[in-house]
Amino acid sequence: MQVNFYATLRPIVGSRTVEFDLGENITVKQLVDVVVTRFPRLREELLNADGNLYPHVHVFVNGRDAPYLPNGVETLIQPGDTIDIFPAVAGG
Amino acid sequence: MALGGYANRIAHVDLTAGTVEYRGIPEDWARKYVGARGLGVRYMLENGPQVDPLSPDNLLCFMNGPLTGTEANMSGRMAIVTKSPLTGTVTDSHHGGWSAARLRWAGFDGVLVKGKASSPVYLFIQDGKVEIRDASEVWGKGVHDTVRFFRERYGEKDLSVIAIGQAGENLVRFACWVNEDDRASGRGGTGCVGGSKLLKAIVIKAPKKMPKAANLEAWKPAHKRALATIMDERNITSPRKGGLSVYGTNVLMNITSAMGALPTKNSMLTSFGPSAEKISGEYVKEHILVDDPTCHACPVACKKEVEIKEGPWKGLRMESLEYEPAWSLGANCGNDDVNTVAKLIDLCNDYGMDAIETGHPISIYMEATERGYTNGDGGLVWGDSMGMVELVRKIAFREGIGNVMADGADATARHFGHPELAMTVKGQGVPAYDPRGLKGMGVAYATSNRGACHLRAYTPAAELGVTPLGALKVDPLAWKGKGELTKLFQDLHAFSDSLDLCKFSAFAEGAEEYAAQYAAMVGVECTIEDVLKIGERIYNLERYYNNLAGFREGSDYLPARFLKEPSTMPGSQGHVCELDEMLAEYYAARGWVNGVVPESKLRELGIIE
Repeated sequence: MQVNFYATLRPIVGSRTVEFDLGENITVKQLVDVVVTRFPRLREELLNADGNLYPHVHVFVNGRDAPYLPNGVETLIQPGDTIDIFPAVAGG
Repeated sequence: MALGGYANRIAHVDLTAGTVEYRGIPEDWARKYVGARGLGVRYMLENGPQVDPLSPDNLLCFMNGPLTGTEANMSGRMAIVTKSPLTGTVTDSHHGGWSAARLRWAGFDGVLVKGKASSPVYLFIQDGKVEIRDASEVWGKGVHDTVRFFRERYGEKDLSVIAIGQAGENLVRFACWVNEDDRASGRGGTGCVGGSKLLKAIVIKAPKKMPKAANLEAWKPAHKRALATIMDERNITSPRKGGLSVYGTNVLMNITSAMGALPTKNSMLTSFGPSAEKISGEYVKEHILVDDPTCHACPVACKKEVEIKEGPWKGLRMESLEYEPAWSLGANCGNDDVNTVAKLIDLCNDYGMDAIETGHPISIYMEATERGYTNGDGGLVWGDSMGMVELVRKIAFREGIGNVMADGADATARHFGHPELAMTVKGQGVPAYDPRGLKGMGVAYATSNRGACHLRAYTPAAELGVTPLGALKVDPLAWKGKGELTKLFQDLHAFSDSLDLCKFSAFAEGAEEYAAQYAAMVGVECTIEDVLKIGERIYNLERYYNNLAGFREGSDYLPARFLKEPSTMPGSQGHVCELDEMLAEYYAARGWVNGVVPESKLRELGIIE
C-alpha cells in the first residue's frame, strides 16, 4: 500500500510516497504503528506519550481525517484507499 | 492621554487643502478600540458611513496599534482602513514587513488622509512630521519602480515605501497598497481609494527606536511567555521546525486539496487533484526557494523568496508565492504552472492589485468560456497561463474586457449575464477555503464585515487542530458549533488586529498572552474576558458602520454554488454548506437580528451612549 507524506514529514521519510507491505484487514491504528516502526523519528511527530495521534496530526483515508470516520482509527483500510499523513499545517 | 505605549500622535492630512495637523488620540477611543483596526474603524464612523468610497470625503487611514514596532513578537503590522470601493463596507487590510514599525519609530500611531490632491503626491514621514510632496515623477510607474525610485532618492537605510501601482491610479476597484515590493495590504480596494485621492506613496524614513512598555516589570515576563509559545516545537510557528516556518503559508495547498476544501475552477470543484502538489509549498521548497526573509520582530519567517530558474520568467525573484494568491491564480483558474503563478503574483504586486481578488474575474471568464456565455468577448480556457498574464495587464490598465473585470467579480459575472458565476460575499471574492469542506469558513465568509474573508475568523485553526498545541479541534464537516466558533475567532482576531499583531500569532498565542502584553505595554489591567469583550465591541462597531451604510437584514449570504451544488471530490463528497443553520446559531451568539446590531447591544458595549 502507498502512503503519502507531506510537509515536515517528507524529509524524515525521504520521499513524497512510501510503499508499505501490509496484510489484509489492517486498521488505521495498525498502519500508523507500522509507519512509526519503519521510521522511528516519526513517532514523536505523530504520537503523544500515550501512543495516540496528536490532535494536530492528520491521517486521511480518502480525504477524511481518520478520527472522524465511524470507526475512528479502528477503521479497516480497504484496497485502493488513498492514505495521506500530514503534520500540523495552517497558514492563510 | 494617560495610557502609555502609544505615541499619542495622529497626522490628519487634508490633500485638498494641502495641510497636515497633528492630534492626540481620544483616550476613550483608545481604551475602547485599542488601535490599528479598531481605532481606524472608529475614525471611519466619525467620518460618516454614507460617504462615497471614491469621493474626496472618504477617509484613508494608515493605522498602527500599541504593540506595533515594539519588542512584541510579530508586531510589524499596519492596518489600512477605509470604506471599500469594492464592497461598500468598512474595510481594513494589513501588511507586514517594516513600514508599520518605521511609522511608529517616526513618532506616529497613524496617518489619516482625506480630500483629493490637485496633482499626484506622496507623503514623506520623518521625525514626527508629515510632508506632502510632488509625486509626478512616479505617477504611471509600477510599485517596483516606485520603490526603487524612492530608495535612490532617500537611500535604502531605514526606509520603507508603501505604494500603489497603475491599478490604483486607474481605479481598479480591488487595487491595493504594496509595502516594500511584495507585502500587500491586499483586500478591499484600499489602493483604489489612494488613486482616487492622487496619493501615490507613503515614504517613511525612521531609524529603529523601539517604544518602551508603560509597565516594564510586567512586560518582560509577558514578552518572554509569548515568545516561548511561538518557539515551542509543537507549534507550526516554531522556527525551522513548524510547517508554517519551513514551507510558508503554501503548506496548506496539499491538505485542503486532499480533504476536498480547495475551491478549484471557480469553485466548480473542491480539489485540484494531483495538480495541487505542483503549486504547493513542498514543491516550491524543493525547486525554487532561495531565501526566508522575515518581518519586524518575527522569528517565524513565513515569507518565502523564490527564483524562477527556467522558461519565460527565468531570473524572476519574488517573495509572495503564498497560499492565497497561489490558489487564486493557480487552482482557481486551473493553472498548475508554478513559475507562471509566481509571475502572475509578481505582476499583481507591481500593478498593485489584490492577488486574491484578481483570480476571480479571470476564473469567471474561464467558466463563462466553457459554458459559452462570453457573447463575443473572446474567451480563455482553464489553465491558459500565458493568456492570464496578458489579462492581468489588461485589468490593471482597464483595456478591453479588462475594463469590465477591473470593477470586480460581481460586475464581470453580470456582464456575461450570469451573476451566479461570482463566488463573492458583499462583492468580495472568497479566499482559498471551500465551505463545503471546511464549514466554519461558510459562516465566517457570510458574516465577515469586509466581504468574504478568511482572516476575520480563521476557523481552520480549529478545523485543522492547530490552535495552540491542538487545544481546540473540531470536525471540518460538522456545522454545529461553527456559529459560536466563528464569533469567538472574530472577537479574538479583532483584538489582535488592533494591537496590531500578525494573525499567525494565534497559532501559538492565545487571549491570555495578548492580554498580558497589551496590559504591560499600555499600563492597564486586562483579562482574557476583557480581550474578548473589546474584540466583540470592535466587531459590533464594524457591523454598526455597515448597517448605517445600508447593509441591513439578509446581507449575510454565500454564493448559491456552495449551498446547492454538492462537492464531488473525496473528503467532502456529497456535502454542501449548511449556512442557514450556522447563521441562526451565530446570530443567537451575537445578539443580532438577522445581521443587524440592535440598539441595546450597541449600548451594552458602549458604542453609543
